[in-house]
Parts: sequence; structure tokens; C-alpha cells
Amino acid sequence: MSDAAAILISGSIAGIGGGLWLLVRGFGGYRRAGRLDDTGTSRIATLAVGEVRVTGRVEPAELALTSPLQSRRCVYFRSQVRQQQGRSMQTVLDEKRAVGFRVRDDSGAIRVFPRGAIWDAPAVFKEGDGFSGDRPPGLALRSGSAIGPGTLDREDLIAQLLTVRPSLGGSDLGTMGSSRVGIISGTGRGRSEYEEARIEVGDTVTIIGTALPFDQLPDPDGADLAEGSAVGGPLAAMGDPEIAADLDAAGTLAANPEEAWGNASIPGFGIGEPVRAPHLNPEASPESVADHDTAERFTRTFAIAPGELVLAIGQGRPMLVSLGAPSVAVARGQDQFLVGLLGAVVAIGSAVMLAIAISGTIGP
Amino acid sequence: MSPQAFAALFSFLLVVVVMGFLLVATYNSVVTLGQQASKAWANIDVSLKQRHDELPNLVEAVKDLMTYEQATLTRVTQLRAAYSSAEPIPAQAATSAATSSAVRQLFAVVERYPDIKSQANVLDLQREIQRLEEIIADRRELYNDTVYRFNTRISQFPSNMLAGLFGWTARPFFSAPGELATPAVRLTE
Repeated sequence: MSDAAAILISGSIAGIGGGLWLLVRGFGGYRRAGRLDDTGTSRIATLAVGEVRVTGRVEPAELALTSPLQSRRCVYFRSQVRQQQGRSMQTVLDEKRAVGFRVRDDSGAIRVFPRGAIWDAPAVFKEGDGFSGDRPPGLALRSGSAIGPGTLDREDLIAQLLTVRPSLGGSDLGTMGSSRVGIISGTGRGRSEYEEARIEVGDTVTIIGTALPFDQLPDPDGADLAEGSAVGGPLAAMGDPEIAADLDAAGTLAANPEEAWGNASIPGFGIGEPVRAPHLNPEASPESVADHDTAERFTRTFAIAPGELVLAIGQGRPMLVSLGAPSVAVARGQDQFLVGLLGAVVAIGSAVMLAIAISGTIGP
Repeated sequence: MSPQAFAALFSFLLVVVVMGFLLVATYNSVVTLGQQASKAWANIDVSLKQRHDELPNLVEAVKDLMTYEQATLTRVTQLRAAYSSAEPIPAQAATSAATSSAVRQLFAVVERYPDIKSQANVLDLQREIQRLEEIIADRRELYNDTVYRFNTRISQFPSNMLAGLFGWTARPFFSAPGELATPAVRLTE
């Protein structure tokens, strides 16, 4: 077999594989777009229990994330850094995180618990190092914790403004909050490619999820229920007061959140502003209690009334969180399907090319 | 099998897979829309029943004090009695619209009676009925939007080909007959 035929065969096989991959991805986009398009938008203030579609702006709840590559406050990010090592590209950072948040429309706001959700957010930062190794504009590697308080007060904003960020060109950039991010900034590295998708605080999102009262939220066990574990486990038993009483009598249930979770039940604990003094090991660094206003704010932020409607995943129907207004999100899915159809054409063309390369002729 | 035959079979199968996917996705989409419309209607029905249950309490709370407004109270009572969930959707929409109008009129009349207006139970009932009116209005909007999507979908290709096969027919909007007609505007005297 000649070199040209070998190249044609390997190219055709790659074309078939790539085309089929695009087609499968397009099917996913079509289904996502269809799901969004088949549900009307409900107003948050008058939501009914069950599967709903809401559209609004993202507001942070208790916590917000900081994205690794551009240090933006967000509620979801998916970041990837690929670095040239020798002749191949290696993934040196692949991180995906999300936290709960609120969505607000013109009628009100609702708390969203996005555990197990499908996130539909296109990359907003997709750059590579220059040929001379210079960093792409817009790259601002995270220099602290990935998680911070949801609402920033005046002092937080001043502190953020006065924080000195290390230059990105040096060799001693430290860990950047993550050892893996440290690899990105080390010396002797190859050319890097950066990609980050995220949903920021203030972005418009469209969500399809299940609206249900907070006290019926299957959390934390329910997250497993929704992801396919056996229905009727300990959580189902909790719905029965007699079984709950039996569990209580047997000492399986804690009497209150403080007994069950200790310091973790204190609003603001873990982010430096507990609303009351935690019980700490004498050798641990003391944590000062938040002032009256902050304590009230945190108590209000963390407290959700049992009957309050929240959005979470439904059984058998995963929550979908899409960046943008419904029309934008639907158009994105439909575009993906068109690219998928193009992929099918490429796969067919590649199959024909493969047949020609193998047999050396077009006819039978 | 020769490479050419394999390529032809592969191409044919790929086209069949794409067509099959589109057919199944279209069927699922129409079925989902139909279910969404049914659910949206059930949610309106619940709110209409809640309002139906609350209205006698309001009428009871104000009737002794509003001796001279019996006509307004009678109209609210009559319209409440006219509500039946077994009626067709447009008839229910007409009754609902008339009830909302009568309730608004009753609230306007209550404003003229400071003694009644300041009573805690009247205020609570007024707030609750206003909340239900808002819910009915929002859910009506959602229902009509869903029905619009359903009706449009089943009249578009390729769903219109499946509509006859599966017996899909257009659903009625939640609007009183003539409610959606454009009012005549006279620009000259």
C-alpha cells in the first residue's frame, strides 16, 4: 500500500469517527433545545409545584465561586488547561465546580439546588499562549480560595481591590490556590491552551427543574435517589412519622442540627463569620463572631422556610441550567444539531473515500 | 462485502438513524407539549377552585355591613355559583373573567366603607383573593403559551403527518369567546 493510500485511509477513518462524534453531540443539542422549547416560562412568584422553566438573573446564595482562569465570581465553572509536553498536548487542569444560587425575575427569586444538573454554558474564554510564550490577554489566574462568601460587603470589596496579584510572567508564582494551577505558571512549560466556561453572578440563565417545597427536598440523601440509587431508602422512611419516631428512639436521629453537624450547622461558619461562637479545639485558631448586622444577614441568607419553593432535580428528569434567555439557549442547541448533520455528511463522505482508498476504484 | 457496498450500507444506515431520531424526537416533543398543557390546565383548575372556596367567606364577612350594595354581592355570588369545572374551557374562561371583574368591583366598593376595610379578616380575605387572582392570571398566560406551542407544533411539518396517525387535535385557549378580538378604535369624532 502506498503512503498516499495509507494517509487517505487514516484520514477517512478519522473523518468517520469525527463526523459520528459531531452527530451524537448534535443529537444531544437537539434534545436539549427541544426540552427548552417545549416548556413555557413560569413567573417565579406564582410557580406551581412540578417541572417548570424559569428565566432570570443569577444571584449568589450563601457562597460564590471564583473561576480558576479569569478569577470571576460565578456559580459554575468548567476550566481546562492543555499544555504542550514534547509533541503532544497534555491536560494539566480540568476542573468543574458549581454551588447553589438564586434566580430572580421581575416577580421574585427562587433558591436553586443544582446538584446533578446538566450545565449548558459555552466557553467564554478560549485562548492560547502567543508564539513567543506570552500569556493571552484576559488570563487572570485565581490567587486564593475557589469559594468565597456569596455577598460581598464594603470591606470585602475594598480588600479585593487592594489585593496584590502576582505578575503572570514570573517563575515563582506559588500555587495560585491550587497545585495544578501552579503547574500552569511554572518555568520550562510548553505552549498552553486555556478554556473556561462559566455562569457568572448577574448572568441571565434559563433553568428547567422541579419546583418543590424546601422540606421535601431530598437532600442530601435525595441527591443519590435522583441519580438512580434505590428509591425507598432511609429518606422515604423519614416521611413516616412512626418510623422517624422509632429511629429517634433508637438514637439514629440527632435531636437538632447542632447535635448532628456541630459547628457546620452555624450559619457563616467556615467562611470566617459565624453568627455565634463555635466550639473549637483550644489549639485551633479562634474564629471571631460576626457583628450584629452581618450575623442577621447570614442567618437570613442561610435560613429557608420549610414550605418555601426551591428548584432542584426531579426524579428521572435532570435539571438543565442554560446560559442566556430561552431563545438564545434553544438557538445554541439547534446550531449544535446543524453541525451534527454536517458531521453526518462528513462521515458519509469519509466512508466513500475509505471505500475508494481500499478498492482503488469508485465502481464495483 | 465489497468496500463500495459497505460504504453504501453505512451511508444508508446513517440517514435512517438521523430520520429515525427526528421522528422519535418530534413524537416525544408533541407528547411532552400535550402533557405540559394538561398540567398547566390542572394548575389553573386548582386556583379557580381555591378562589371558588374563598369567595363565600368574603361575601359573608361584608354582607351585613354593606346593606346598600346587595347588587354587587349578589353578582359575585351568582358568578361563583355559575363556576363548574365540568364546563368546556372557553366557558370556564368566560365565567372566570366575569368573576374577576365582579371581585374587582366588590373591592372598589369595600374601599368606600372604612369600617369594613379596616377589619383584619376582610383585609386577609382581600389579600388572599388578590393573590389567587394573580396566580390565575399568570397560570392562564402559561397555559395559553403552552397551548399555542402545541397547536403550532402539530400543524408544522413533520408533526402534521403524525397528527392524523395519533389523533392530535388543536386544544382550546383559556379565553372567553371574543376576548381576543381586537377592539375597534375610532380616531375621528
